[in-house]
Amino acid sequence: MKRQIFLISGIYLLCIFSFTGCTKSSGSTKSRNSSDKEIKLTFFNTSAEVNNQFSELFDVYHQSHPNVTITLIPTPIGGQQIQQFQSLIASKNPATLANLDIGTIYLYKNKFMDLTSEKDYFENISQQDAVDSALLDGKLIGIPYTVQGYGLLYNKRVVDTALGTTFDPSSIKTRNDLEALFKKISQAGVPPVMIHGANWSVGAHYLTLAYALQSPDVAKDVQFVTDMENGKVDLGKNAIYSGLLDTFDLLKKYNYRKNDPLVADYAKDCLDFASGKVAFFFMGDWVWSQIGSLEGIDREYGIIPVPVSNSPDDYGNSRIPVSEPKLFAIDNSGSTPEQQAAAVDFIKWLLTSAEGQAALVSKMGFNMPYKGVTVKSDNVLSAAVSKYIQSGKTISIGVMTYLPADYYTATGDSMLKYLAGKTDRQSLTNELLAYWESVAAR
Amino acid sequence: MVKQKQKNIGTFLFFGGPAVFVFFAVVLVPLAFGFYLTLTNWNMSSGQHRFVWLKNYKQVFSDASYLSQLWFTLKYAFFSVIFSNAGAFFLGLSLNRGMKGQSVLRTGFFTPNLIGGLVLGYLWQILFSQVLPYIGRKYGLPLFATSWLSDTGRAFWALVIVNSWQLIGYLMIVYIAGFVNIPSDLLEAAEIDGAGGIKKITSIILPLSVSSITICVFLALSRSFLTYDLNLALTNGGPYGSTELASFHIVQKAFLSNQYGVGQAEAVILFIVVAAIALTQSFLMKKMEVEA
Repeated sequence: MKRQIFLISGIYLLCIFSFTGCTKSSGSTKSRNSSDKEIKLTFFNTSAEVNNQFSELFDVYHQSHPNVTITLIPTPIGGQQIQQFQSLIASKNPATLANLDIGTIYLYKNKFMDLTSEKDYFENISQQDAVDSALLDGKLIGIPYTVQGYGLLYNKRVVDTALGTTFDPSSIKTRNDLEALFKKISQAGVPPVMIHGANWSVGAHYLTLAYALQSPDVAKDVQFVTDMENGKVDLGKNAIYSGLLDTFDLLKKYNYRKNDPLVADYAKDCLDFASGKVAFFFMGDWVWSQIGSLEGIDREYGIIPVPVSNSPDDYGNSRIPVSEPKLFAIDNSGSTPEQQAAAVDFIKWLLTSAEGQAALVSKMGFNMPYKGVTVKSDNVLSAAVSKYIQSGKTISIGVMTYLPADYYTATGDSMLKYLAGKTDRQSLTNELLAYWESVAAR
Repeated sequence: MVKQKQKNIGTFLFFGGPAVFVFFAVVLVPLAFGFYLTLTNWNMSSGQHRFVWLKNYKQVFSDASYLSQLWFTLKYAFFSVIFSNAGAFFLGLSLNRGMKGQSVLRTGFFTPNLIGGLVLGYLWQILFSQVLPYIGRKYGLPLFATSWLSDTGRAFWALVIVNSWQLIGYLMIVYIAGFVNIPSDLLEAAEIDGAGGIKKITSIILPLSVSSITICVFLALSRSFLTYDLNLALTNGGPYGSTELASFHIVQKAFLSNQYGVGQAEAVILFIVVAAIALTQSFLMKKMEVEA
C-alpha cells in the first residue's frame, strides 16, 4: 500500500510538472522579453516551394540579430494550407508572421495588424503602384514582396529546334496563331504543351482569367462574379468565357499529359519542361524555384499570353496576368507588441538589406517590386514577365482577392473533370454556375 | 458510515480523478461544445456567432455532395473491413504454425502500422502514379498504364488497398493472440476424428475466434470511418473531389469553405452513423461468441 501511494503521488507530481510545463512555455517569451529581450517569432509559409530557402534566411537573420529567433511553419505544395492556418488561429496560437494568399488575408483581415501607419515608408521604397495594389479596403494589412506572372511558358531551345528558326513570341496574337504553332511543333515530333492537372492551376490560374478579362477594372470583374452568384449571368453565352474554353480545348488537344491528365506531379512536370520534353507549359515564373537549381537543364525560357480569341486587339491577347499573389502579414490576435515590432523590423530588413534581397531574388527567384534591388536574378522567367510589366502589357487579376477561399478547389475540380473528358462544356458551365449560386446562399 | 463513504469518494478521486478529468477535458467537453457550435453560424474569421438552430443540419441534408460522400465512406469502410479482416485472419493463421522466420514475418507485416498515414500515403502515391504506370507501359498492362489515382473508380480501390494493407498487420496480431488461446487438445481431437484443414478452420478455429473478430471488425470499422491522413496524402480528395471521405469533406467544409457550423454538423452526423454501426456490430457479434 505504501509503495502504491508513493507511486501514485509520483505520477501526480509528474502530471503537475507537465501542466506547469505547458503554461511556462507559452508565457516564457513574455517573461524573457523583459530580461534579456529574446524574441521568438513563427513564420507561416504558404510559398511551399521555398520552405528551405526561408529557413536558411532565418538563420542568417538570427546571426545579425541574435535576440530574434524565427521558426518556420512549413506547408506542403497544393496541400491543406488554409486549414493549417485556421487551426493555428483557432488554437489561439497564431504564427507571428504569415506569408499568405492575398485572399486569405482579406478574409482574416481583423486578425492581422493594420500597417497603414507604415504606408509611406513602404511606398517610398517600392515601385510605383506596388503598395497600392496590395491595399485591402484601402488599408495596408499585407506587405507585397513579389510580383508573379503566368501564361504559356516556353522552352526556347525546344521551340526553336522544332520550328527550325528563332521563335518570335510576339507572332502569337490569336488562338489560330497558337494552333498553327502547336501544329508545327507537333509535326516536328515534340509534344507542344503541358497542362498541370491540379485544381489550383486550372481553377485559380486558368479559369480566373474568365472573370479577370471581363474588364481591366477590377471592380467590374468583382461585379461580374457577384452577378454570377445572383444568377444574372448567362455564362455559356459569355464570349470571354467561351473563348477561354476554346483555347483550353486547344491546349487539351495538344496536351503532353493527355493519356493521364490528372496525375499533377509538380516536380515531375517542372523537370520534364526544363529538360525539354515539352515545348510549352501553362504555369508561372514561380517554377524557377523548382527548376533553377537543377543540373543539366535548358537555361533559356520565355512566356507568351494565353490568347482567348481570334482578333489580335482583344483585351488579354497580348497581355499576361500579373499579380502580387502573396503578402506578408503580421498577426494581431495573439502576439505580443514586442513580437509585432520585431516582425515589422524583420520585414523591413528583408526588403531592404542586401542579404534579404539576395535571398528573395536570387535564391527564391521572386520578382521584387521594390526600388534599388541590386541583386541580379538568374530567373529568366521573371525577367520575361518584367518585360510585360514594364511595357504595361498586364492583366490585373485582383478579382482573385475577393473570391471565396474554396473557389479554386470547387471550380478547379470541375475544370479537371472537363480536362479528363468526363464532362462536356454545358455541364461544366452548369457546375460552375451552381457553385457560384451556392456561394450566394451561404 | 458517513466517514467510510467520504473515504471511498476520496479514494476514488485519488485514483480515478485524473482519468475522469482528462476524459472530461478532451472528450466530453469538446463533444458538447462541438454540438453547441452546430447550432450557430460561428466562423473562424469573424469569431462572432449567433444561433441559427437547425439550419446547419437542414443544409447538410440538402447537400447532395455530403450524402454521396457519406455513401462513399460507407462503401470504403465496408470493403476495408472485409479485406483487412480476411487478410489478417489468414495471415495470422499461416504465421501461427511455427514456421521458420515467423517472427520476422510478423514484424514485417506489422511495420506499416508504425509508419504514419501521411508518409504511407505519399509512398503509395508514388507507387500508384509513377511506378505502376511505368511498369504498365513497359509490359503493356492496360490496368496499370495510367495512374490509379486519376481515375475515380480505381482511386477508390487504391484507398481501400492501402488502408487494408496498413490495417492487416495490426489485426493480424490480435488474431494471433486469439489463436494462441485455442486449446490444442480440441484441434488434436478434431484431427483424430478426421477433420481436414478447412473443417478445422470452419468448425473450431472460426467459432472460437469470434471474440477476436468482434474486436478486429470494430477496430477496422472505426479506423476506416475516421480515415483522414491517408485520404489527404494519397488522393487529396481527387480526382476532382470524387474521393473525399467523410472526415476529409468535413475538414474542407469547415476550414476551407469557412462554413464551420455546417462542417461540425456533418461531424455530428458522422459520429451518430459510426456509433450506431459500431454498437450494432459489437452487440450482434457478442451473441455469437462461444466458450471452448
